[in-house]
Amino acid sequence: MTAAATRPGLRRVEQVMGTAISLDLADDLPAATLRELADEVFGWLREVDARFSTYRADSEVCRFDRGELSFAETSADLRTVLERCAELWGATDGFFDAYATGRLDPSGYVKGWSAQVASDRLLAAGAANHCLNAGGDVRVRGHSAAGRPWRVGVRHPWEPAATCLVLTGTDLAVATSGVYERGPHVLDPRRGAPARGLRSVTVVGADLGLADAYATAAVAMGPAGIGWLDRLPDHRHAIVTDDARLLHSTALPLEGGAPS
Amino acid sequence: MRRALFAITGLAAGTTALVVLKGSPAATPVAAGELPAGTVAVPGESAPANRAATRPPSARPSGTPAPKASASRTPRPKPTASATTKATTSAPRRTTAAPRTTTAAPPATNRKVTGPVVTNEFGNVQVQITVSGTKIVNCVALELPSGGQSGQRSDRVDAAYSGTSGQVVQRQSASLDTVSGATYTSRSYQQSLQAALDQAR
Repeated sequence: MTAAATRPGLRRVEQVMGTAISLDLADDLPAATLRELADEVFGWLREVDARFSTYRADSEVCRFDRGELSFAETSADLRTVLERCAELWGATDGFFDAYATGRLDPSGYVKGWSAQVASDRLLAAGAANHCLNAGGDVRVRGHSAAGRPWRVGVRHPWEPAATCLVLTGTDLAVATSGVYERGPHVLDPRRGAPARGLRSVTVVGADLGLADAYATAAVAMGPAGIGWLDRLPDHRHAIVTDDARLLHSTALPLEGGAPS
Repeated sequence: MRRALFAITGLAAGTTALVVLKGSPAATPVAAGELPAGTVAVPGESAPANRAATRPPSARPSGTPAPKASASRTPRPKPTASATTKATTSAPRRTTAAPRTTTAAPPATNRKVTGPVVTNEFGNVQVQITVSGTKIVNCVALELPSGGQSGQRSDRVDAAYSGTSGQVVQRQSASLDTVSGATYTSRSYQQSLQAALDQAR
C-alpha cells in the first residue's frame, strides 16, 4: 500500500488458476473498501478454480464429466459455462471445442468468463475504474489512477519483455491466445494435431470470455482464422503469423495511431 | 402371336416369382422345389437377374468378367452347377428366364471407373471410383488443385483484407498499464513485462 500515498487505488497480484492475476483498482475509495473489493475478486477467482479446474478430481467440472452429477444437479454457473461452450462450438464452426482433448475441459472459456464476472461485480459495487489481468487476458473499465484511458500492451510474440501494439480504451476486453508461452498446445480439433500458422491472436470486444474463446478458435483455425476474424461482428483483432507478419483490424483502438 | 403372348406371360410369372422369392429369402423347401432353385440359392442376385432378363445380353457393361464368377460373391450352400441344373429341369417352361439368371450374375471382381478431368477456377479435379458388383467401394481423387481450395480462398481474403496488409511485426514501446498475452505460467510470469509493471508501483 505504499503506492496509496502517491496515487489513489490499490494494486494486488495473486497466483490463481496456475497463472498470475493482477488487479488494479483506480477508484479513489477508502483503503478498507478497496481491500474488501480485492478480497471479493480473488475469493471469486479461487472459488472458480476449485469448481472448474480440470486438475482437481473433486471439482464440479470433473464430477460432472465422470457422470457423478447430472446436468440438473450442476450449479447455475456450470450450466451457464456449458451452454456458452456449446454456443461457441457452433459459432466457431467447431474450432472452439470444450471436448477437444476427449474429456470436458472448458478452461478456454472459464478464465475469461470468470474475470469478466469479477469486473462486472466491481462495476456494480461502485468501482468503475479498474484493470483486471487474468494471466494475459485483460478487462479494463474507466480510467487508470493517472486519470487517462487504460493502456494495454500486446506482448511481442518473440520478445517476452516487449510489446508489438499498444491499445487504449475505457471499456475493453482484450484476450490473447498464442503458442509462445506453453508451446503448440492449441489443438486443431479436426486434425487432432497442434494448430500452425498463427503465432499470436488478440481479440478485442466487450466480453472477455467470448474474446478469449474467439482468439483460441482462430489459433486453432490457422491461416483460415484471419478471414474468419475479419468477418466476426462486434470484435476487432490483431494477428501475428508464424512468419512474423502483423495484421489487424482498421478499427483497432491503437495508442498513438497504427505502428509505422 | 400366341407364342409371344405365352412368352410374355411366362416372363411375367417368372418376374413375379423372383420378386416374391427375393422378399422371402428363407423360402420353404416346397417353394424352392417348384420355382427356379438357382435364384433361391443367391437371393441377393435376383434383382440383377431380373434386370438382365428384360434386356438383351449385350447390354451388360463392358469389362464384365465371366458369369461363373458369381460363385465367389456370396457363399452358396450348393455348387453352381447343381443349382443351374435344378433350375432348368424343375421349371422347363421358364427356360427363357432361368438360364439368364445364371449367366447375367453381376461381376464379383472390382473394376475401376475413371471420370473425366474437370477444370474449375481453382485447378483440375479427376476422381476414380472402384465398383464391386453394384456398390461403390472406393473413391480416390487422381488430381486436385495443388494449393487446396481453402488455401487459395484464404489468399484471396488476405489480398482483400480490410486492415493493414501484414507488415513485419515490430517492437513498440510506450508507457503501459498492463499487458495482454498468451497465458503465462506462474514461472514465466516472473520474467514477464507484466511482472515488471506490477513491481513498478
